Amino acid sequence: MKYTSYLILAFWLIAVLLGNVLQLNPNAIDLEVILQAPTAQHWFGADDLGRDILARVLSGVEVSFLVALIVTGVTMTIGVFVGLLAGFYGGRVDAVLMQITDIFLAFPGILLAIAFAAVLGPGLGNLIVALCLTGWVSYARLTRGQTLSLRHRQHVQAAESLGAGVPRLLFRHILPLLASILVVEATYSLASVMIAEASLSFLGLGIQAPDASWGAMLRDAVRYMLIAPHYVLIVGGCLMSLILAINLGGDYLRDALDVRKPD
Amino acid sequence: MKYLRFLLIIYFLQLSACDFASKDTNRDASVHQSTPIHFALSQAPLSLDPRVATDAASERVIRLIYQPLVDFDQNFKPTPKLADWQMVSATEYLVSLKSPRPLFHNQQPLNAEDVKATYDAILQLANSPLSAEYANIQKITVHDAEHLTFYLKQPDPYFAAKLIIGIMPKQLLEQQHDFARYPIGNGPLAFVKKNNKLVLRRVADGQIITLSEVKDPTVRVLKLLRGETDLLQGELPAELVKYLQTKPEVTVKTSPGANYSYLGLNMQDPMLSSLKVRQAIAHAIDRQALIDKVMVNHTRIAGAILPPEHYAGNHSLKAYDYNPQLAKRLLTEAGLSLPVKLIYKTSTDAQRVRIATILQAQMRPAGIELEIRSLDWGTFFEDVKQGNFQLFGLTWVGIKTPEIYTNVFASNHFPPNGFNRGRFSDATLDSLLEKEDWQAATDRIHEQLPYIPLWYEGQFAVSNKKITNYSPKPDGNWDDLATIRKYAH
Repeated sequence: MKYTSYLILAFWLIAVLLGNVLQLNPNAIDLEVILQAPTAQHWFGADDLGRDILARVLSGVEVSFLVALIVTGVTMTIGVFVGLLAGFYGGRVDAVLMQITDIFLAFPGILLAIAFAAVLGPGLGNLIVALCLTGWVSYARLTRGQTLSLRHRQHVQAAESLGAGVPRLLFRHILPLLASILVVEATYSLASVMIAEASLSFLGLGIQAPDASWGAMLRDAVRYMLIAPHYVLIVGGCLMSLILAINLGGDYLRDALDVRKPD
Repeated sequence: MKYLRFLLIIYFLQLSACDFASKDTNRDASVHQSTPIHFALSQAPLSLDPRVATDAASERVIRLIYQPLVDFDQNFKPTPKLADWQMVSATEYLVSLKSPRPLFHNQQPLNAEDVKATYDAILQLANSPLSAEYANIQKITVHDAEHLTFYLKQPDPYFAAKLIIGIMPKQLLEQQHDFARYPIGNGPLAFVKKNNKLVLRRVADGQIITLSEVKDPTVRVLKLLRGETDLLQGELPAELVKYLQTKPEVTVKTSPGANYSYLGLNMQDPMLSSLKVRQAIAHAIDRQALIDKVMVNHTRIAGAILPPEHYAGNHSLKAYDYNPQLAKRLLTEAGLSLPVKLIYKTSTDAQRVRIATILQAQMRPAGIELEIRSLDWGTFFEDVKQGNFQLFGLTWVGIKTPEIYTNVFASNHFPPNGFNRGRFSDATLDSLLEKEDWQAATDRIHEQLPYIPLWYEGQFAVSNKKITNYSPKPDGNWDDLATIRKYAH
């Protein structure tokens, strides 16, 4: 199972590269093959405009990875920074930052993302902004909790007594110890961002036509579920396999990085 | 005597047999009546008050709950419904109510005072979207219970065609009755209740008809196939209609439609003000391919807002053929460098976006790079009304009178005085519209292309096998709910 998840992940990463190398045209319309089942010419069949589903799936996975990587990178940076400051300084700084974090946590993440996306308007850029605005809180909470305990470790206190500045303490003595936890969190975050992107696109708040997105493809596919079940099954299957692979990969990574686990 | 007694016994036996038979018949009828007919809609009616309703679902239900003075025949000519009319002069219409007339659903009779109260209420209601349309009424004089006269401020030879508002009881209007939620008219269907569905009762036989909103087309179809609903009409992708045609358990009825789909152009745009550019766009659309592949059966290419079968229809309009090379040449002749970039605005409706995407692909070989802006309905329609567009796609629904050409294309009908949203101005057309020469006017419109005509979308209704007496109508109304039947087996 472990290797299966890595293989699936590798497959999709290769698919992203392949999509660029083959220079497929995911927007080419052919009215003659509307909702056609898989054939030798169209391996995954054709969609409601006669576009090749395989080409659109490859284009969609590229968008998913792009959004997931950018959002995860940005939210991790913001969240870790907020968490480090709150955990290191404590007191009022901690109280204020955690109050803000709690306000964001009080809303279901996807609901907040939908609200932001609706206000900002549809489109790739706004979708990334909406997900960034809601995604940093889990990193902030996690980092703050760890920093509170690491702050009192002897090596940190020793560095402080030797005159190390706050940036050095945070980024040389505390952050490296958080790396493994953050990497595991980031893998889960990748999967949840992909689902959020698909959800927002499904609702029409994400990637706009004619650009391909798995969420938007699922929305279209559902309309034709009775006539062309292959469409919804293929897109749904692709999304499920990728998310499952990332989550399982995250589990194995967590186990591998867990120092308490016996060899 | 014995013979007489025998005859009497036979007579009473027959009477009792008749009584039993009638009870049986009643029981059969009650079986039919106690089996409601379920009609699934994509959009529930928003208001059941004829003075304020503007959405299609509300207007279609209102036609069944209330009755107007005038309706339209198959050739779209005004025809008497509750009343006959006489044009005394172009500013004076004498209306005579027909007899007998159905009672209001609260068992009160309908008379001329109710008619006057209804039209007065429209004029007095601050938020009625119909106020402007009836602003030409100067006064209404009631002569007796069956006769009244409408006096107009300006001559209007088509005023009779505007007497299509459902009549409401005067007494309830005076009591500020909430017609939007508890409608009372004298139409064939009476309001029963509204919770998560609208329940109506047919006055003639007590048949219950429920109208419930099921937004998702796939769910509507599944409900029909599972027997949870009896009837669907319109608002399904063409592929689902074709799929249903293969199902033996349902009946699909299709008919030609009269609702006109078009591309609107902004004539104040520097590029689109050129006739050659407009002609290029008309030649850059493969209408037949679109109709064949993504539209329902009976969809036909349109030439003008009113279909050819309309009494003011034009049979001689020839469709612009799909010719990307000619389109390219026309654009070059107009002095534009290719590709020409245009912004096309549409709503977020899935079928609209689908059509926009196909138009985008079809126009590309003609040297037109179409950018699609899919906006929520409110924003989109506001942009259209404000003239904030280059191209947009819309449909005229339920248009019956040729007066529409003046409203839409006359140069003195820019919003808010009319629907000339593209700000088209043409002296020749103005003079033809003035003369009411509809044939020549539609020829001119077709030649000048302030609208790019697309099609009249076909109508369809899908029902299970228990349903009879229901057919789709050209404008998509639900009038056959007044006669629909449902059999138990």
